[in-house]
Amino acid sequence: MPEAKSVLLNVDVPAELADLARAEGVRVETAWMIAATDLNLAGSYEPVYLVAEGERLVTIARPKAPGEKAVRETVPRGEILEIRTRQGVGGGFLEVRVADMYVEMLAYSNARADIFHKVATKLKDWLAGQTPFIGPEDDLDPRRCPACGMPLQFKGDVCQKCMKGGAVFRRVITFMRPYAGKAILMMLLVLVTVALALVPQQLIRLLTNVVLAPEQAGNRPLPFGEASVWLMWLVLALFTQVLLSAGVGILTGRLSSVVGTQITYDMRNRVFTHLTRMGVDYYDRYNVGQLMTRVASDTEQMKSFVNQLTGGFLAQIITLVTVGIVLFGLNWQLAAITLVPAPLVFLSVMIFWKRIYPRYHRVWDANSKLSGVLNTILSGIRVVKAFGQEPREQARFDTSSVKVRDSFRAVEFSVSTFNPLVGVLFQVGGMLAWFVGGREVLQHKPGGLNLGDLLAFLGYLGMFYAPLGQLTQLTNWLTGFLTASQRIFEVLDTNPQIVQVDNATAMPNKGSGVTFENVVFGYNRHEPVLKGISFEIKPGEHIGIVGKSGSGKTTLINLMARFYEVDEGRILVDSVDIRDLQLDELRRSVGIVLQEPFLFRGTIYANITYGRKDATTDEVLAAAKAANAHEFIIRHPLGYDTYIGERGAGLSGGERQRISIARALLYNPDILVLDEATSNVDTESEQLIQQALLRITRGRTTLAIAHRLSTLRNSDRIIVMDGGKIVEMGSHEELLALKGLYHRLVKIQTELTADPAFRMAAEMSAGEKKKEE
Amino acid sequence: MDNEQPKTSVTDEDRTKIRYLTPEMCKIHVGTHGALHVTVLNDRIYGGVYAAYAFPVEHAAEYISLMRSTGSGGPDEEVGLIRHLEVFPPEQVALVRQALKRRYFIHTILRIHDIRWDHGLVAMDVETDKGRVKFLMRWQQDRAVDYGRDGKVLLDVDENRYLIPDVEELPASERNAFTRIVFW
Ligand SMILES: Nc1ncnc2c1ncn2[C@@H]1O[C@H](COP(=O)(O)OP(=O)(O)OP(=O)(O)O)[C@@H](O)[C@H]1O
Ligand SMILES: [Mg+2]
Repeated sequence: MPEAKSVLLNVDVPAELADLARAEGVRVETAWMIAATDLNLAGSYEPVYLVAEGERLVTIARPKAPGEKAVRETVPRGEILEIRTRQGVGGGFLEVRVADMYVEMLAYSNARADIFHKVATKLKDWLAGQTPFIGPEDDLDPRRCPACGMPLQFKGDVCQKCMKGGAVFRRVITFMRPYAGKAILMMLLVLVTVALALVPQQLIRLLTNVVLAPEQAGNRPLPFGEASVWLMWLVLALFTQVLLSAGVGILTGRLSSVVGTQITYDMRNRVFTHLTRMGVDYYDRYNVGQLMTRVASDTEQMKSFVNQLTGGFLAQIITLVTVGIVLFGLNWQLAAITLVPAPLVFLSVMIFWKRIYPRYHRVWDANSKLSGVLNTILSGIRVVKAFGQEPREQARFDTSSVKVRDSFRAVEFSVSTFNPLVGVLFQVGGMLAWFVGGREVLQHKPGGLNLGDLLAFLGYLGMFYAPLGQLTQLTNWLTGFLTASQRIFEVLDTNPQIVQVDNATAMPNKGSGVTFENVVFGYNRHEPVLKGISFEIKPGEHIGIVGKSGSGKTTLINLMARFYEVDEGRILVDSVDIRDLQLDELRRSVGIVLQEPFLFRGTIYANITYGRKDATTDEVLAAAKAANAHEFIIRHPLGYDTYIGERGAGLSGGERQRISIARALLYNPDILVLDEATSNVDTESEQLIQQALLRITRGRTTLAIAHRLSTLRNSDRIIVMDGGKIVEMGSHEELLALKGLYHRLVKIQTELTADPAFRMAAEMSAGEKKKEE
Repeated sequence: MDNEQPKTSVTDEDRTKIRYLTPEMCKIHVGTHGALHVTVLNDRIYGGVYAAYAFPVEHAAEYISLMRSTGSGGPDEEVGLIRHLEVFPPEQVALVRQALKRRYFIHTILRIHDIRWDHGLVAMDVETDKGRVKFLMRWQQDRAVDYGRDGKVLLDVDENRYLIPDVEELPASERNAFTRIVFW
């Protein structure tokens, strides 16, 4: 046994248990590997140890009752035919094959899945008679954060626990940084607005105390002429204030619109760019309808943030503070009285946050689900109609629609109850001021409150309560804004799995050989779809891939184009790991005809030139002709300028495939990948396309997947896949001679075509249009 | 297609039909190495069998599939499907239940003690049928997916599973705390 130990694969068994095991003949000291699991085979939490001895596997655990044994399972090496892990739901099993059945040795929760995958590899070596080496390097796991040990979503992901973002608000502010100058200007304008708003009440005070009722303020009564002049000046002052306010208003409005729309625009682009950088796996998991909401409407909320800064809450907070100061300056006793209901106001705001705020999420949820449903129904409208399910879809839509209505109603019900009630609270403060202040004016105390002061006070009080009254609307907005920003940041915080390394290289030479080295990959973390794929394609070779449906053929292609990242092993193009290549270079040199051809809304011409906008008309014609698409395109009245609908509506399945072949041919890649490219094309056209492909792809590396084996006859080599592994590889003749899976597949297909009834069936299922008489 | 039958063996034809298992025709028992076995009348003994729900959400007590691996990487084959588990003798029912419990390692959340959002991670402290558990979940929509009409399945950073059968059934305060963070 090596000196340095692995923490995970040389676990220390508790002394007490080790003693018990020793009594039953299991010596943990001499075991070459010990791993700990967290579950027992009954599916409950319990520490169980797997002890790998020289000639047998044993599991031990503390006996649950006296009289029970510590040893749970024992299997001698001689009886084991195979060792594997099997994924359950939420956990998995280490299994050994004994005779003709798999026996579960132990169970583990997903938290331990990585460890037991490793254990299984070690055990496989052991079974094969090798001595597996176990050392500290076995504890390294590239899918865990080296700092805190948290599982990462994929290799090279940034650990979210170690990388702390900022609070939502702070981050929005950071987004505003480029507009700092304009923002400061806006703030200044807000200050001016608030200052201007304070003026009219002072004018009223003068009007009352100097002009209209001077006696009660202890002033000298003015003669009519002098009073009129005063009056005129006051009106003029008011007019100036109004004009200035209007001017500042125009300026702030325009400025905030400039900044607001620009920030929204920036954010929208940012989210969209981020979405395009996201790997294909992201779109496997996310609902497109919901993503659309994020790009389109959540980003709109950024604008509201700027609006709130200028017209909304910032202005109001400043107003609140300045008016508060003025109120206390005018008469602090009265001001204090009016604040009596303030604690109640705060209390109600707290209630709002606790009770009403969460309901907003439901509104959003209902809304985005509605758009999700809509998106699914509309894009699948053909299936809906084919199965006559319009009423059902109407009902489904209705359910979602009702949810939106009801959730909105729930929120608005509570808000519309809440706001007036809070309003009442505020009014009480005002009433107190009326009563106490009014009494003071009546008392005519020297140095006390006079009529002008009271009127000004009441005016300011109105200004003071206005923002408080809008506080609930503010929370309204704030909740909407916060949820929207959180959702935006959720997108922005998700790291794209496929990233280009910093020092990515260009494609070295255009030889275009492809090598897979022991590639393991699964769409889900613990379920490998490709289980150790190795092969080499020489530059210019034509390779065919066959295999049962679900055997991993498309997955292979997905990995080669780096739509997904391999879990283990590596893929080389021109002897360079594709992870070290510049992404656009890689995609430039690999041209794919996808299994499900996707065409965009637009002209046929635009679709063919999608990958190469600079293509000349002659090149387009040549590509279309080679793909056997030219003739049917010409038959359309508008030829290449024919407009096709969403996803290629208006074309037959085979026509769509041929256009996407033309698109790939025009792209002129070094490596051409055809995933069932001609599956919907009739045999005659297929032969034509095959001939053209042979001509065009001479000397070009080509990978073709096909179920119709005749398609692959001309390949240099054929790879036969089964269950995520390569089971056979060689030329058509070699594989036939092998009499293996390929031979069987060929036999079934020729048998089918020999039987007239089934020939028909097979051709129909292959989308054939020409039928035999 | 027309009515002619393809030239295939009987077993191939069987493979395209569901075989419903009934107590009259089969016996579920424990065999060598403690593995689950099914003996089917007029057929054979199948060893190393595991049980899987066909409709874990909609019909959890019905339609349980008994499967086994055929070996060497091939796809698993179905021994048969149990339509109603209760019609089997109690000891056999218990064996199937155990097998299900083994395969589906899912915590059912009974109460939420605490839920916190912290920079893209959700920390939860919950009471489950397997005891009190604290776990971390990525704050992403695919980590909390719908289960039936009102339920949610949460996947923590280790991909362990936590089930809330019905979010509406949680106490109001816990539900609000939950939907405030997991609002989708
Ligand atoms: N996006 C995905 N997420 C999860 N699993 C997937 C995904 N795509 C494919 N799979 C699974 O991976 C396995 C291999 O799929 P793949 O598409 O590679 O098969 P294929 O050999 O191309 O089959 P076909 O001949 O039907 O096209 C299948 O079991 C499939 O269910
Ligand atoms: Mg495929």
